[in-house]
Amino acid sequence: MSIALDQVTKRYQDQPVVNDVSIEVGEGEFFVLLGPSGSGKSTLLRAIAGLTGIDHGRISLHGRDVTHVRARDRGVGLVFQNYALFRHMTVADNIEFALRVRRMKAAERRARRKELLQLVALEGMDERLPGQLSGGQQQRVAVARALAHKPQVLLLDEPFGALDAKIREELRRTIRAVQRELGITTVLVTHDQEEAFALADTIGVMNHGRLLEVGNPNDLYTQPATRFVATFLGAANLLLARQSVDGIRFGATPLSAEGAEPLQGGREHEVVAVLRPEEVEVGTAREDLSSDFIARGAVEEIVFTGALERLRVRLLDEPSAAQLLGAGSASGDPLIEITRTQPQRRELPLLAGAQVALGARRLHVLPTPISSFLACAPTEAEAAEIAREPLLESLSTRMKTRVSLRAIDGLAGTPAPFAGVAAITAGSQASETVEWLMRHGAGEVLVLPKNAPSPARVFIHWTDEAVRRATLAVSASLLRHVSAEAVYLGIVPEGDATGRGTPMRKLLDARSEAQQSHGLEMRTELAIGETVTEITRNLSTGSSQMLVLGITDITQAGTAYRTLLAAQPGWPVLIVYRSKDWGPGRQAARSAPEIAA
Amino acid sequence: MKNAGRREPNVIPGFGITLGFTTFFLCAIVLLPLSALVLKAAGMDFARFMDVITSPRAIASYKLSFGASMVAAGVNMVFGFAIAWSLVRYDFPGRKFVDAIIDMPFALPTAVSGIALTTVFAGNGWIGQYLEPLGIQVAYNWIGITVALTLIGMPFVVRTVQPALAEVQRDLEDAAETLGAGRFYVFRRIIVPTVLPALLTGFTLAFARAVGEYGSVIFIAGNMPMKTEITPLLIVIRLEEFDYAGAAALGCVMLAISFVMLLAINLLQVWGRKRMMVSR
Amino acid sequence: MAGPSNAGEIAAELSTRPGHRSLGASLVRWLVIGVSLVFLGALLAAPLAAVFAMAIEKGWTAYFSSFADPDTRAAIRLTLLTAAIVVPVNTVFGITAAWCIAKFEFRGKSFLITMIDLPLAVSPVVSGLIYVLLFGLNGWFGAWLMENEISIVYALPGIVLATMFVTFPYVARELIPLMQQLGNDEEEAAITLGAGGWFTFFRVTLPKIRWGLVYGIILCNARAMGEFGAVSVVSGNIRGLTTTMPLHIEILYNEYNFVGAFAVASMLSLLAVVTLIIKTLVERSGYRRR
Repeated sequence: MSIALDQVTKRYQDQPVVNDVSIEVGEGEFFVLLGPSGSGKSTLLRAIAGLTGIDHGRISLHGRDVTHVRARDRGVGLVFQNYALFRHMTVADNIEFALRVRRMKAAERRARRKELLQLVALEGMDERLPGQLSGGQQQRVAVARALAHKPQVLLLDEPFGALDAKIREELRRTIRAVQRELGITTVLVTHDQEEAFALADTIGVMNHGRLLEVGNPNDLYTQPATRFVATFLGAANLLLARQSVDGIRFGATPLSAEGAEPLQGGREHEVVAVLRPEEVEVGTAREDLSSDFIARGAVEEIVFTGALERLRVRLLDEPSAAQLLGAGSASGDPLIEITRTQPQRRELPLLAGAQVALGARRLHVLPTPISSFLACAPTEAEAAEIAREPLLESLSTRMKTRVSLRAIDGLAGTPAPFAGVAAITAGSQASETVEWLMRHGAGEVLVLPKNAPSPARVFIHWTDEAVRRATLAVSASLLRHVSAEAVYLGIVPEGDATGRGTPMRKLLDARSEAQQSHGLEMRTELAIGETVTEITRNLSTGSSQMLVLGITDITQAGTAYRTLLAAQPGWPVLIVYRSKDWGPGRQAARSAPEIAA
Repeated sequence: MKNAGRREPNVIPGFGITLGFTTFFLCAIVLLPLSALVLKAAGMDFARFMDVITSPRAIASYKLSFGASMVAAGVNMVFGFAIAWSLVRYDFPGRKFVDAIIDMPFALPTAVSGIALTTVFAGNGWIGQYLEPLGIQVAYNWIGITVALTLIGMPFVVRTVQPALAEVQRDLEDAAETLGAGRFYVFRRIIVPTVLPALLTGFTLAFARAVGEYGSVIFIAGNMPMKTEITPLLIVIRLEEFDYAGAAALGCVMLAISFVMLLAINLLQVWGRKRMMVSR
Repeated sequence: MAGPSNAGEIAAELSTRPGHRSLGASLVRWLVIGVSLVFLGALLAAPLAAVFAMAIEKGWTAYFSSFADPDTRAAIRLTLLTAAIVVPVNTVFGITAAWCIAKFEFRGKSFLITMIDLPLAVSPVVSGLIYVLLFGLNGWFGAWLMENEISIVYALPGIVLATMFVTFPYVARELIPLMQQLGNDEEEAAITLGAGGWFTFFRVTLPKIRWGLVYGIILCNARAMGEFGAVSVVSGNIRGLTTTMPLHIEILYNEYNFVGAFAVASMLSLLAVVTLIIKTLVERSGYRRR
């Protein structure tokens, strides 16, 4: 491995800006770190360069552990967004800087400089001052300077950020060509997904300090594993669908989709499907569609953008129609985004207001276990109050999902099946409510104390190995959207005859499964004693803690965990329930995008 | 709206009246009195003029004023850089307080700093008592003058170097470090050249202020003719002798120095801008 | 995303850097801070403390009774009167000059700016001298003033004029760069919306420049109250009549009345401290000197 990051964590004032990131970059690979500003990507790059220290983890370059090696001894070349050229030095002096530091002879320096200037197509500019060059030329000089000492690794921090579009593209080509010619391992940081697609062999997407997914550009675009990657890599319509034994369906219409998890135990549940705007087929009627019908709608807006035409279509509220998720739907605006090419446009010219039928050419189901939230309380007004809880509000916003309301007065009767994650308030009634909800189809219940803050640490525990996989999946999904530290809590009953070997192995197994299948880095802690006592003790060690608890026995919620759920002021607890009967056999099956994650 | 020299039509009113008032006030308060000085000196016989300004006592006062100002500005360049560096690069308890009191010499009346420095540096003063046994007499000789001039020039250096130092892009040092440079090398090859124009500007400002300084110096100087008599004091003495022409002649010399300093500061600033030219 | 920006954060980040926590680095760091603090202590803190220590050396009664002296009171009154005349006049001038220079383009603008800055470069003694040459007995207007029995030099007008000269640029040089940077857009918008010149100034321009204005005024005031050299030359040092506070300090000091001298000095030092506090508050409110 050319660059290996192992569980790298960096905090600023106790806030993790890089959270447990592990990456391996192969020899000669062009790796692009992609993420919005503040996602920690630049900090990670500076950590690789040695310009910022890390609080935890290891960094190796070509097999050498450089975690504690000074920047100047790491042998990396770094290119900055604002060029960072030495303004009082000529181009020649800038490029020769690293060679001068290394006391190279003048003649050799000159030869190397000429070579580099030729490489970046700036021959003859030797005696210019940086101020006399254009932005694009300055960045070329910066690239040449960073390569002068033949670094093993080239790092580029938003190198095109300060340039205008035309020059950007030209410089992009130059950098790709130089990288290919030298075969140098390269890491580039950017927030521009188009740039990432154009340059990368491999893209790593970061958000909130975490590395969400790594993969080649095409896989990440077509088969994202997370909502964030799905929406950050390009426009995406997120739709709520139901998965049953027959497959995926919106309302009554079943359709084919990629990426769906194998169904566990025949229990129908809600899933999130990604539909790219270019994969939507538009026809005048359902019968005209060559792909699976998803909904009917009315054209709301048409924008001509040159090569493409963008449509926004309002879905008609029909039982058979797909339901949209995302920012648009929260404000009561179920608009679906569609792009059409010019030939498609000519085939079926549309005007605003036209009634159309929509089909999905390609639908990808996210393997995320948290599809939406359902605030449950005795009255609708109280449910609305739960929906306004800061933690739930921030989770639903970050997950780009919605919170529906449901009145569940008296815990009696046979309610309609629950979908998504049910959210209730903590208190003495909580354990009964959890039990009742789970008996009526709820797989996950979030128990919220009033005004609980966003957690800084999430403890994960399951009572039975049968629910391990589901608990890890839910935890991973949650932790992608809050910047918190994940801690798996293994608990061995006191005086257990099996000794420590088995629990330790389970711990390590859990950790490696979390990392491999869910991209979740977590610490592990082993406690000895009674389960609920130990969990409570760990939750009490600090402020802003949360628990994800996996159970297989519904009555457990009502009995063993009653005190935990009723504690004051209490902690947010996300309970994941899977019946033991569903069997562990199915858990071995793993879908493609998950491996990518 | 036709005003001479305006490049483009401007809807904002008040050009004529503000320019008129500014020019009038400037002439009345600044230019007219200054020209009185020049004309007074010009009215003198040239030989007499040269006599006055090259008299041994005048020459001795120039030497003292220039020498002490030069030393003071030099001291400030070193210590002012250290202070600016501490304020910009280091975090230490009381940093904000130190940052605030740097401007004290701007706000403190010179007479106050004059008597205060004299008290502190006199043979029995807080600091003087420790220097005296070492054979260093500060008050009532050229060292005292230099100390006073250092005090009043200090903020000029700190306040010009400080922003320049803060503007040295961290990226530059980071770049140099990844290219293999050690810290001292970075300091010598990157930081010093980058802030050099500001440092020289600060030096010149401090020097210009020191040459003309009067209030804080006369208390600590001792004011011995030929020995510890600065040029501004000599002007006052000539005036007290009702030798207006002599005072005017010396005043002209000081004014000429002021103009040269102003020119030097402007040139330094132009040079600094050119050197750090940023093209986008 | 270029990393931390202020001094504290930079220091914090640097200290985490591999190889940056070495003994040498912290040695250099404390050496530089130490040298700076000793330098400032000897040059700034010690003299300032000495002023107050000397003032109350003979006890508080002696300190307060020194303000009972009629000459001291007259000096305080004269200083306040001078500042009360000079500061408003120079403020009006500063605003006018800044308006004209920042809002319009005309030939000779940079010359005008240089001329406005000129008094800062002129020795205070020369600043006083020029008024003596102009209005003194042998000056241009000397004879005429004598005939009409108007005294300027060795009287209040001379003191005011010399102080005005010295503090002439303070407000203007604060406002000019500030207004240039803020640009004309908002004023132009106001005027196209039908606002008049005064309305535009008071409702649009003034709120934007108020911190810069306060900054300029307090520095102008501090210099006006504390000016020594220029005033010394034009005042004639007539006790109780033409001595401002700084001049009165000199007289008392030369008479070895140290408690009296330092008592007056302590008042001026307090003025300086208050000036610095206001200045710091203004800077904290977001105003940045250019």
